[in-house]
Amino acid sequence: MSWILTILRSSIGKKYIMAVSGACLSFFLLSHLIGNSVSFLGKEAYNSYASHLHSIGFLTYILEPFLLFVFLVHILTGITLFIENLSARPNRYAVPGNERNWSASTMPYTGIIILTFLLVHLLNFHFITRTVSTAELVRTTLSNPFLASFYLFSLSGLTLHASHGFWSLFQSLGINHPKYNKFLQQGGLATAVIIGTIFILIPLLIVTTDSFLQ
Amino acid sequence: MQLDHRIPSGPLTEKWDRFRFETKLINPANKRKFEIIVVGAGLAGASASATLGELGYNVKTFCIQDSPRRGHSIAAQGGINAAKNYQNDGDSVWRLFYDTIKGGDFRAREANVYRLAQISNQIIDQCVAQGVPFAREYGGLLANRSFGGAQVSRTFYARGQTGQQLLLGAYSAMMRQVKAGKVTLHPRSEMMDLVVINGQARGIVTRNLITGAIESYAADAVVLATGGYGNAYYLSTNAMASNVTATWRAYKRGAAFANPCFVQIHPTCIPVHGTYQSKLTLMSESLRNDARVWVPARPGDKRPPAEIPEPERDYYLEKKYPSFGNLVPRDVASRNAKEQCDQGKGVGDTGLAVYLDFSEAINRLGEAAIRRKYGNLFHMYEKITGQDPVKEPMTIYPAVHYTMGGLWVDYHLMSTVPGLFVLGEANFSDHGANRLGASALMQGLADGYFVLPATISSHFAESALLPINTSHPAFTEAMDTTKGRIQRLLSINGTRTPDEFHRELGLLLWDHCGMARNEAGLTLALGRLPKLKKRFWQDLKVTGNGADLNQTLERAGRVADFIEFAEVMILDALSRQESCGCHFREESQTGEHEAKRMDDTYSHVSAWEYQGEAQTPKLHKEPLVFENIQLSQRSYK
Amino acid sequence: MTVIHLTLKIWRQTGPESKGSFKTYESGPLATAMSFLEMLDVLNERLILSGEEPVAFDHDCREGICGMCGAVINGKAHGPEKKTTLCQLHMRHFRDGDTLVIEPFRSRAFKLVKDLIVDRSAFDAIIAEGGYISVNTGGAPDANAIPVPAFTAEQALDAAECIGCGACVAACPNGSAMLFVGAKISHLSLLPQGQPERSKRALALVKKMDALGFGNCGNEQYCEKACPKGISISNIARLNREFMKAAFCSVEE
Ligand SMILES: Cc1cc2nc3c(=O)[nH]c(=O)nc-3n(C[C@H](O)[C@H](O)[C@H](O)COP(=O)(O)OP(=O)(O)OC[C@H]3O[C@@H](n4cnc5c(N)ncnc54)[C@H](O)[C@@H]3O)c2cc1C
Ligand code: HEM
Ligand code: SF4
Ligand code: FES
Repeated sequence: MSWILTILRSSIGKKYIMAVSGACLSFFLLSHLIGNSVSFLGKEAYNSYASHLHSIGFLTYILEPFLLFVFLVHILTGITLFIENLSARPNRYAVPGNERNWSASTMPYTGIIILTFLLVHLLNFHFITRTVSTAELVRTTLSNPFLASFYLFSLSGLTLHASHGFWSLFQSLGINHPKYNKFLQQGGLATAVIIGTIFILIPLLIVTTDSFLQ
Repeated sequence: MQLDHRIPSGPLTEKWDRFRFETKLINPANKRKFEIIVVGAGLAGASASATLGELGYNVKTFCIQDSPRRGHSIAAQGGINAAKNYQNDGDSVWRLFYDTIKGGDFRAREANVYRLAQISNQIIDQCVAQGVPFAREYGGLLANRSFGGAQVSRTFYARGQTGQQLLLGAYSAMMRQVKAGKVTLHPRSEMMDLVVINGQARGIVTRNLITGAIESYAADAVVLATGGYGNAYYLSTNAMASNVTATWRAYKRGAAFANPCFVQIHPTCIPVHGTYQSKLTLMSESLRNDARVWVPARPGDKRPPAEIPEPERDYYLEKKYPSFGNLVPRDVASRNAKEQCDQGKGVGDTGLAVYLDFSEAINRLGEAAIRRKYGNLFHMYEKITGQDPVKEPMTIYPAVHYTMGGLWVDYHLMSTVPGLFVLGEANFSDHGANRLGASALMQGLADGYFVLPATISSHFAESALLPINTSHPAFTEAMDTTKGRIQRLLSINGTRTPDEFHRELGLLLWDHCGMARNEAGLTLALGRLPKLKKRFWQDLKVTGNGADLNQTLERAGRVADFIEFAEVMILDALSRQESCGCHFREESQTGEHEAKRMDDTYSHVSAWEYQGEAQTPKLHKEPLVFENIQLSQRSYK
Repeated sequence: MTVIHLTLKIWRQTGPESKGSFKTYESGPLATAMSFLEMLDVLNERLILSGEEPVAFDHDCREGICGMCGAVINGKAHGPEKKTTLCQLHMRHFRDGDTLVIEPFRSRAFKLVKDLIVDRSAFDAIIAEGGYISVNTGGAPDANAIPVPAFTAEQALDAAECIGCGACVAACPNGSAMLFVGAKISHLSLLPQGQPERSKRALALVKKMDALGFGNCGNEQYCEKACPKGISISNIARLNREFMKAAFCSVEE
């Protein structure tokens, strides 16, 4: 089975890893989004969704470790790519060309933002001793204007990351066809923006309104 | 010097088979023991290197560019001929042979040209197998287009970049042999001299263009495939590095130079626009399939083309040559363009241009169809001139393009120096006094894939090759000569750059040894050459030193050789007092200003032998015997 | 004839190991019909006469097909025009008074030789690993024996148009050669003649590409924008696909 290691260590192999792990993370993101969208239905609905979620053992014992693993794989491979790519171009150009592809060029940086966010996010909501309901917890935590703006900033980073990532993962896996390319490219962008907007709405509504999750 | 063409006996159609049967072979295990040097990695050099490697020989391949994939064959646009008769329009090996001989105005060997036509079909098979993406019909079979000088559609093409695709095929076949260890590449190396030992070509001296090191390599045979010398004219459609240096040094070591004055001037090139101009760009002849050539009927008419009504336009080719029309051979088309401009009917800023107009074809087939066919050529034209050929007609003018002349070779492609083989545009073999479109690619690949691999074994089998290496005094002598010459170029420290001299030489040749030649002009040019040469060696300026990448030095060396070579070219043009093909002596024309051959006196190949510095070279004549075709005055009316 | 003047900041470096720097030159009057390389010629003629070594730059065909020329102009490989090699870039695309910063292609896999000249032999090394169809001269069947749909031949030619100039590597922030390799893989894997070695070729070329120090593709698409022949990144997707099939479904290792 050493061939599989050879393949995965190759430049394209690493792309596959990024794409597959990225796709898994995207599924997580999507389900996380759907879950959190329940908050728009009100406090009760949200709380019942949260307690329901916590009671599913499958999630805690299988999906969580798997998610952790996927994150680690994605992050470690991403860092490897970042370092390798830096050394592939030892001398930079004196003049940066215009027409930057912002979302693509900033993948490692938006990735780091997401990572930081993730740690903060987990500290906020995961590694704590629970005393109040989930809705209350979310509301009090994000009422902190400092934290809320950090969330806004990070979630924008996430949107940028996903706006390149969604299309990119198809390209990496060789999914490219003249009939569907436009759909993949624009669909990827639209999905990222929609996901980003919905996520961002949560802290935004908390700081700007009194009624959200109240 | 003996010019023995070594053409096999027997009927024309059987000569090549007979040769292959009668020739001595080398057994596969013994091929490993032979070293071959191939100079040049264009179509001819790359195809030869690949095939020799496949056969088991050890090959060293040299080229000037950083990669062998860049040989100037890559620039060929239009296509490659073959007698496949896929279009069922009456083509055959015999017709391709006849068209090529006739196109060359009956100044090529029957046997060579027949062999070329025979091999043409195998070339297409080979290239397709290599993955050359030729144009196809919707059903998946190969498509053809027509080219000048033929009434059948036999040209295979890949958009406007046939040369590129063929070269990439040959290059990759060669790279396969590099991987197999049979071919060793030496890019960025320029051949500076040929080493001849006991009358046999046994090696070369090169300059490593990166380090400046003068190096030498020994082998059992040397193959030159270094392309044409069109750059003698400074402005031409050739690449900047195209040169005569390799063949000129071989000439100085005893290889005869044949028909040096046969230079093809291509009718459809983008006209000159300024003194800084460094090269001329070809617009493929295939454009003449769908475009009409015209000038204003009234001399001095400076109106923009759109304002000149139909009756006041002169479609001179269609008028003069009703049966071939715009598809007359290149020499005829070029000369007629010059004639129109000489009459004051030229267009554009300089008055040295004629129109190539697509409007009729666009009306007939639609703009989209024309763009699909010629899109990349239009794109290239627009880049250079800033004008869109769909909106206004192209302006074109003839430019130096191809050299039919080259080192003399026999049927085996061996020069007068045993063991020195010459392929592709560098030899003189198959195109007579004028080359038909799409036949240089055919010849380069025929030479490299099929002819040389078959003939070189008989050389190895029949000659006694003493073991030698680069410590032989002949190598030391050649290396010292080269070093001395470079030192001389570097130490003049005058006031003019190599390009200035080159431009001066180019203009002199263009004016007096170009599209039309006469005794007075040629004599004048010949008289100016020694002075130019003297000034060159007194007033040249080369910066930097020899132990480094030095492009000025490279250019200086090439210009020095062009200046020397020009003398032989002019001598040849002077000595051939007939007109034939591209060689138009004003003294010899028909009443209708067509080239008039003199078959009784000039039905021969002129081969020039070096006689030493400052000596006039000696002319040898190889008579051309035509047993199978009737010589006729070419007519495209 | 329109004339413009430019300020040229050109990278000068005498050799691979020496330290380079920008040197500023005034162009003098330039005709707008001039090509970029002719502009450099004019500068070089002046430099030679003043005893300064001219700017070394690679070039040969000067008609956009040999792939020899190339430099980065104001941050753009082959300059600002789309689908244009440096030799086909004309001065009419610049304005009087512009400053042009002219740098060599930079990437770990392309070592600098002198001034604007870099060593692109890594591309040849990649092709040698399998960028071909292994047929010896002589044994080919009739050219029409295997029909190839016109569309497929066109698609293969779209990819085969690559001139090996290296602009894709130069433009890629990661110095990746995926567009070049993708183009070759596409050309050969699209054609029926290329099928027998399809898997082997994909594995071998990628392996070599990685070993030569090119970076990893990040799907950033700079290559496609810089490519003078308009080679599309769909060729990179095809390479990703071919590599996957070869890696997981073929017996080749
Ligand atoms: C613009 C253009 C378009 C053309 N279109 C067509 C066409 O459509 N159809 C057709 O049939 N023909 C065409 N031709 C002609 C044809 O392309 C050439 O005649 C043919 O390709 C020459 O091939 P070659 O292998 O002999 O030489 P080249 O391809 O010129 O190769 C010469 C090789 O020799 C090397 N070399 C040269 N000198 C030295 C030296 N001193 N030391 C070391 N190496 C050296 C070079 O590096 C190069 O590798 C065209 C030519 C031009 C210029
Ligand atoms: C929920 C969180 C995340 C999601 C949904 C996500 C999704 C994706 C996707 C879909 C891709 C595209 C893969 C491809 O190009 O084929 C990608 C690429 C990338 N991700 Fe993430 N990612 C997340 C978190 C992170 C984190 C925490 C990092 C931290 C370092 C990171 C770093 C990267 C990098 C560097 C790339 C680019 C790889 C390249 O250039 O080839 N990502 N991501
Ligand atoms: S893919 Fe384009 S940019 Fe890259 S080498 Fe080929 S032609 Fe040049
Ligand atoms: S010089 Fe040949 S592509 Fe520019």
